[in-house]
Amino acid sequence: MQTIIEELEGRFKATPLAISVPGKNQKAVYLKTGEKSVPEIMLLLEGKGVILADLFAAENFTGEKFSLFYIFEKRGDPVMMVLVVGIDEAKAASVAAHFPGACYYEREVADGFGIEFTRAFDKRRLFLHEVYPEGFHPLLKSFENKPLDIDYSKLVKEYPFRKCSGEGIYQIPVGPVHAGVIEPGHFRFHAIGETIFNLEIRHFYTHRGLEKLAEGKTPLECCAVAESVSGDESAANVTALTMAVEEICGIKVPLRAWCIRTILLELERVYSHLGDLAGMAIDVAFPLGAAAFFNMREETLRQNGALTGSRFSKGIIVPGGLNRDIAQSKLGGLQAYTNDFVARLEKAVADINASGWVIDRFETTGTIDKALAAPLNLSGPVARASGVQVDTRIDHPYGIYEKLRVEEYPREGGDVLARFLVKADEIKNSIRLIQDVLDQTGGGPVFEKYEAIEGYAMSMVEAARGQNLHWLWLKNGRVERYKVRTASFCNWPVIEHAVVGNIVADFPVINKSLNLSYAGNDL
Amino acid sequence: MISEVFKNVFGKKKTSAVKPQDLSFQKLGLQLKEDIDGVFGRSLAVRELDSGSDNAAEIEVNNLAAPYYDAERFGITFVASPRHADVILITGAITLNMAAAVKKTFDAMPQPGLVMAVGDDACDGGILKGTYAVLGGADRMLHVDVKIPGNPPSPEEIMAGLVTLMAQIKMKTRTG
Repeated sequence: MQTIIEELEGRFKATPLAISVPGKNQKAVYLKTGEKSVPEIMLLLEGKGVILADLFAAENFTGEKFSLFYIFEKRGDPVMMVLVVGIDEAKAASVAAHFPGACYYEREVADGFGIEFTRAFDKRRLFLHEVYPEGFHPLLKSFENKPLDIDYSKLVKEYPFRKCSGEGIYQIPVGPVHAGVIEPGHFRFHAIGETIFNLEIRHFYTHRGLEKLAEGKTPLECCAVAESVSGDESAANVTALTMAVEEICGIKVPLRAWCIRTILLELERVYSHLGDLAGMAIDVAFPLGAAAFFNMREETLRQNGALTGSRFSKGIIVPGGLNRDIAQSKLGGLQAYTNDFVARLEKAVADINASGWVIDRFETTGTIDKALAAPLNLSGPVARASGVQVDTRIDHPYGIYEKLRVEEYPREGGDVLARFLVKADEIKNSIRLIQDVLDQTGGGPVFEKYEAIEGYAMSMVEAARGQNLHWLWLKNGRVERYKVRTASFCNWPVIEHAVVGNIVADFPVINKSLNLSYAGNDL
Repeated sequence: MISEVFKNVFGKKKTSAVKPQDLSFQKLGLQLKEDIDGVFGRSLAVRELDSGSDNAAEIEVNNLAAPYYDAERFGITFVASPRHADVILITGAITLNMAAAVKKTFDAMPQPGLVMAVGDDACDGGILKGTYAVLGGADRMLHVDVKIPGNPPSPEEIMAGLVTLMAQIKMKTRTG
């Protein structure tokens, strides 16, 4: 990455803005450049094999009206590059031809700020559904956040789905309200007989305007916003937010606070993955196999409740550390609980492995090609089950992760079975991490005073579903812009590839094996 | 082979390993079962509807149906369609993007349809109150019979909410 940065500085006169360093492993180098050189730079970057990790906009960041932030990552390199492109008019060139993942981001920026991307091959709306009026762009500073007076009951025009036609092709619209107890989202299938020929997803039903909601809040008030990005990623998202705040004001969080944060982060991974394992077994009609995972998940949620008072670890992690300490006796209780956990899990997984018909449903179902990982920036267990070694805890360690033994369990299959086994292995690793951290957790304070006034910072965490990237900009002690990009946002489009050629009846288990968050995607 | 069959028929079943737990939950459940038997005749059909929540409340509703709580033993069934439902558990503030779907779902219920708001956001909009993207709590669109606050409420609290709901219905049937 360093050589690429130097080349951009030399050839395109890109000027360094600032270096933000959330610990030496999440170093982000900001380069500013004019919009004219963007096409050439993108061509060059595409050739260098970098990955587009995020793309968003902010208003009045530099001299120009809008700034577009392109964040690039080179796998295995700790340095991230943030390319800041200033534009005066609400118009920019699409980079989706070089980085296909950009398509989703550009539609998001177009909705939020009204920036038009020329030569984009998909200009449909993304998070603003048809109910929103034309010309409404909520993230513009000129829009004051207030309820809109809209008649939602009026039939509005329909979303233009991709069209498929031909002999024997028929459509199956599914959602937003599903048969199970899950979040809302729409899936438009085109099938030939039982086989899925094409799938298009249409989400953002749970769009709650969280990025706009965060604006004007103090970092502490913003914690509740981060926690509601996705309920089962509360600890991960609030940790990412606090890491950004802590970097802006340059404080060091006490060791004990980081130990407890790490325990909560890993517990979150454990209960999230356990729910996935249970869900996959349920979706192939094996409730007996699922029962053990369900029970262990309930116990894990209760551990969370005993430690923090919230079964989802909400309301304890704050900028500067934790807002209250957890008694040593409660940590001891967790330690005792973990003693026979791995053995019980292995028994439950062995029961699944011994059921030939379950394996038959899992194997070769919903295969995700490794080649999709880089262009779509796949991360988390979804990527690792397709043979891609990527884990933010290893690539860009934060907090105390550098000193811990985070292990990767890559599998090549890319199918439901591979994702099942990767998640099972990761639970075991998380339990081991929790035990290691419990051994190391000493006494001491859990909070460091901070004063966050001005500045901006990026931070990354590995949530249960993969890498979540947060970018925070503070002005006069208040949030000026808060951008959250969850792993779900990057991983959702891959389901359109994973299901093709599978039968419609296998869709639920494929969806569950990915277990992406709708709320975390829709914000 | 034959010994395998004998073992399957007469041997200890795997489910027997689950211990009964949570006496307070058990008590709530039995109370609910009694009320359901009295008013609805054996079963209360529940439909979950996410109108824009952060997914924590759905997880808790899901947990009610999972083996640890197994609420179905008290006569609650989680049904796949609003057409089969007596009560809707609505989670999350109603987003503009979901508004039309929420209305359609409620209209598809056999009337009178009961509504229970689960979680702070569903009760009054919670932290989302006043943003452009939400209408507000569930009562901005539907008549809400019971509100269960919490971020999110625990399975036991949701169960207690159902007991309250049944008590309300009993009162109504007695007076009306």
